[in-house]
Amino acid sequence: MNLFLQGGEVATENEDPQRADVWVVDGMIKAVGVIDAPEGARIIDCRGQIVMPGMFDAHVHFREPGQEKKETILDGTEAAINGGITGVVMMPNTSPSVDSPTVVKRVLEQGAKCRIPVLTSACITVDRAGHEMAPIAGLKKAGVLMLTDDGDAVPNAALLKRAMEYGTEFDMFFASHCEDPQLCGPRALNEGPVSYRLGIQGTPALAEEICMDRDIRLAHATGATLHIQHVSSAIGMETIRWWRDERGAKVSGEVSPHHLMFADEDIGDYDTHYKMNPPLRTRDDNAALLQGLKDGVFRIIGTDHAPHTEFEKSQAFVDAPNGITGLDTALVSLHDRFIATAEFGWDLIVKRYSAEPRRMMRLEVAEVAEGKPADLIVFDPNKETRFTKEFMKSKSSNTPFLNKTLKGSVEMVVLGDEVLLER
Amino acid sequence: MSIALDPAAISAAIDRLADEIFLAAGGDAIDFVGIRSRGDEVAERVFAKLVAKGAQARFGVLDISLYRDDYEHLSSNPMLQSSSIDFPVDGSHIVLVDDVIFTGRTIRAALDALFDYGRPAKVDLAVLIDRGHREIPVEPRFVGEHLKTDRMDRVDVSLEKIDGKDSVEIITQ
Amino acid sequence: MARKDFLDIGSLDRAEIIHLLDQAVPFKDLFTRSVKKVPALKGKTVLMLFYEPSTRTLSSFEVAAKRLSADVTIFDVPHSSVTKGESVRDTIDTLQAMRADYIVVRHRLAGQPAAIARQTNASVINAGDGAHAHPTQALLDAFTFREVYPEMEGRKVVIMGDILHSRVARSTSTILDKLGVEVAFCGPGSLVPQTRFKRFTNYEEAMAWGPDAVYLLRVQKERQDAPFYPSDREYHSVFGITEDRLKEISDKGIYVMHPGPINRGVELCDGVLDYDRCLISQQVENGIAARMAVLFGLKPDLKNELS
Repeated sequence: MNLFLQGGEVATENEDPQRADVWVVDGMIKAVGVIDAPEGARIIDCRGQIVMPGMFDAHVHFREPGQEKKETILDGTEAAINGGITGVVMMPNTSPSVDSPTVVKRVLEQGAKCRIPVLTSACITVDRAGHEMAPIAGLKKAGVLMLTDDGDAVPNAALLKRAMEYGTEFDMFFASHCEDPQLCGPRALNEGPVSYRLGIQGTPALAEEICMDRDIRLAHATGATLHIQHVSSAIGMETIRWWRDERGAKVSGEVSPHHLMFADEDIGDYDTHYKMNPPLRTRDDNAALLQGLKDGVFRIIGTDHAPHTEFEKSQAFVDAPNGITGLDTALVSLHDRFIATAEFGWDLIVKRYSAEPRRMMRLEVAEVAEGKPADLIVFDPNKETRFTKEFMKSKSSNTPFLNKTLKGSVEMVVLGDEVLLER
Repeated sequence: MSIALDPAAISAAIDRLADEIFLAAGGDAIDFVGIRSRGDEVAERVFAKLVAKGAQARFGVLDISLYRDDYEHLSSNPMLQSSSIDFPVDGSHIVLVDDVIFTGRTIRAALDALFDYGRPAKVDLAVLIDRGHREIPVEPRFVGEHLKTDRMDRVDVSLEKIDGKDSVEIITQ
Repeated sequence: MARKDFLDIGSLDRAEIIHLLDQAVPFKDLFTRSVKKVPALKGKTVLMLFYEPSTRTLSSFEVAAKRLSADVTIFDVPHSSVTKGESVRDTIDTLQAMRADYIVVRHRLAGQPAAIARQTNASVINAGDGAHAHPTQALLDAFTFREVYPEMEGRKVVIMGDILHSRVARSTSTILDKLGVEVAFCGPGSLVPQTRFKRFTNYEEAMAWGPDAVYLLRVQKERQDAPFYPSDREYHSVFGITEDRLKEISDKGIYVMHPGPINRGVELCDGVLDYDRCLISQQVENGIAARMAVLFGLKPDLKNELS
C-alpha cells in the first residue's frame, strides 16, 4: 500500500483542521505536512475534504447471538465502516446475554472475523436479571473492561453496590443505563404534552435522573469508576456535572446523536422511528445536552445503535420495540446538524467520537500523525448522502433519517494496510 | 346563453300554476311540498297566491339530499338542510313542487323521501319549467312553462328570494 | 374534497367541525318521522371492528349505520384469531377482502385506528383508541352543548374526573376549545396532568370559576395499574356530585354531561339522573345523529387499490 492523500484538511482533537497532505505506506502514516507527491504513490485528491482518525462507538447493539434477524456482528461492523467508524463496543443484552466468559469468547471470535476491531461489554448481573452477580473476574480475564446491564438499570441498589465494591478490584469500570423501574412506566415516550396528546403513559425524566443520582452516589461511595450511558435530560447532564466537579466523583457521561437532535414532538402521529429508551425529551433538553457536550460533561458520543426489523417497528407505538440504528448515519448527521451550522468544530467530533472513547476503553488513540498506524477516514463536507435502505449496511433501517438526504459524505476509510471503504 | 324567461314571464308562469291547481282542487285542502332548493321558493309563491284566493293550503319543504342516487360520482357528499313538513302527511293531498323537471330522477328521490314521512292520499306534481328529456316515467300534472332544450343544455333558474333576481337561462354546452 | 377517515379532533379545523355539527341537525330531525331510515348508504357495508368491549358506542354506530341503510357487519374480535396473536395487519388484509366501505374501530392501543386507516381503502372511523381519542363522542358532546347554548363562544365547561386516562377528556376538550368554549380540567391531582387548559384539583374552586356545564367522566378503575386515589368513597366525597352539590348545581342552572356508562355513588349520585338540566340521555340520542353525519360525510377511497 502506498497512498497519498493530497490537499485535505487534517482534523485533530485539539484544534481546527490544518491543511496537510498525508502519506500512508503499508499501514503506517509515513508523513504528514505540505509535501510533494511521492513517486509511485496512488494520489487521492482530498481538496476541500477532511482527513481525520476513524471514529469509535462505545455503545452498539449487534444482536448476535440470538436476534440475527435484526443485526449480526458482521453487518453491524459494515454499517460502522459505512459511517466512518473503525471500532465498536458491543452491549451485552443479546440472547443469551454476554454474562459469562463463554459468551464473551464467542462474541469476540465472531468480532475477530470483521474488518474493524470489535470489543464487548458484559453484564453486571447474570442474564441482566438483577438477582445474581455475573462472574466479574472471569469476564475480565476473557477481555471485558466495561460492565453494564444496558437496556435496564440494576434494580437492586444493594446488589449494584456490592458489584461495584467487588468489581473495582479487578480494574473494571461500570456503565449505567439509568431508569427507575417503577417510575418509568411502559417505556414508550417522554412524559409531557406529547404523551398526553397521544394518550400513552409517558416516562418522566425523573425516572432517569433519580436512578442516575443513585448510581453515581454508589460509585462515589465505593470508589468505582462509572460511565453514564445515553443521557437524555438537562437535569441528568447537570447531575453528572455536579458530582464530577463538586464532589470529584469518577463519573463520565455519554450522549447519543438522537438525544441532541430530536425531541418528543418529532414523534408526530405515532412514528416509531422516534421511539427509543431513554425517550426523546424536549427541545430545551436538546439545547442543554448540546451545551453539555461543548462543556465536556459528556466524555463521549455513542449512537446506541439499536436495530429492529421493519415488521417490529410497524407495530402499534406502544408495542414497537425501542431504539434506532445509528452507525450508518451518526457522523454525517452530526456534520449536517452541528458542524455545517457552526455549532461546534471537527476538533469536538474527533475528541468525543474518536479519541475519548478509545481512552475510555484503554486503547491507543487513533491520530493522523507521522509514525502512527493508519486508522483514518476522509470526509467530504460538500457532498450529500441519501440514507436509503440500499445505502445503509445495517441489516435494519429503523432510523428517522431513512430516505433523507443530509450534508456530508464519508468518502474513504483506511485501517492498517487496507482501504475499507472508497466511494 | 339565452334568456328563456324574464321576470314577467316567470310571474305569469306562477300565476298559471296557481290558477290550474286552484281549479283542480275544487275547494279541497292542498298541501304544498317544495323540493330544496328553488322548488321550495316556487311552492311558496304558488302557495301565497292560493292563500290570497282564499284556498285552504299548507306549505312544507323537503330536502332530498339523502335520497339521491349519485353519491358515488360526487367528490364530497352534499350539504344537508333540514326538511320541514309540519303537517301530517298521512291521508293528505300533496302537490309536490320543483323548479325544473328534466330526467325525472329528482322527483323519484322526492317521492321516496315524502313516503318516509307518511302515506299521502294523493300526490300531484307541479313544476315551473318542463325542459323534456325524461329518463323515467314521471310526468308533471301542472306545468308553468315548456322549454325546448337540447339534452346537453344547462337550464339555470334564478329566483328572487334565493338568488336576488327572477330569470331562467339556457346555457348551451 | 371529503376526508377518507375520521381519526381525531385535533386534525379537523373549526369550519369542518361546524359543518359536521350542522349536518347532524337534519339527521336528528329524521328521528321524529315515522320512517327513521334514509337510503343514503344503501348497498354500503359498515364493519364494526371492536378490539375492546363496548356496548354503548357499538350500538350507537350500529343504529346510525342502519338508519343510513348500510349493511352492518360486526366483527366479533374476542372470538377471532386476533386473540391468538394474529397481528392487526394480517387481520386488515383479511378484512380488506371483505370489501367493507367503512370500518369503525375501537382499540385498546392509542394510534391503532390510524395505522389501520393507512392500510385500507375503506373509510376508518375511530370509535376510541386507548387514552388517545374518541372523536365521535366529542362531536356529539359539542352538538349537545350547542343545543343548549347555540352561541358557544365564551361559555365555560369544566371536565371532571380521571383526565389522565380519558380519551373523552382529550377529544371533547379539543373540540370545545376549537369552538371557542373555555375548558378547565378538575380532579384528583394524580389524575389531572398539566396541559394548556386551566387545572383545578379542588371541586369548590372549579365551581367558583363559574362553569356553564360540568362534564363528568367515568373514573376508570380498570385502566389503572396503581392507585391514583384512596377509594371510591373518598372520591365521591371529594369530587363526586353529591346531593348537596347537586343542589348548588341546580341553583346555578349548570348543565351536567357524562359520556357513560356512569358509576353511581362515585362520580355522581342518583339524583343527578333526574335533574332537569342533566343532558346524559340527550347525549345518547345525539350520538346517533352525530355518527350518521360522520358516516355520511366520509368518502372511502374505493377506486384506488392500496399496495
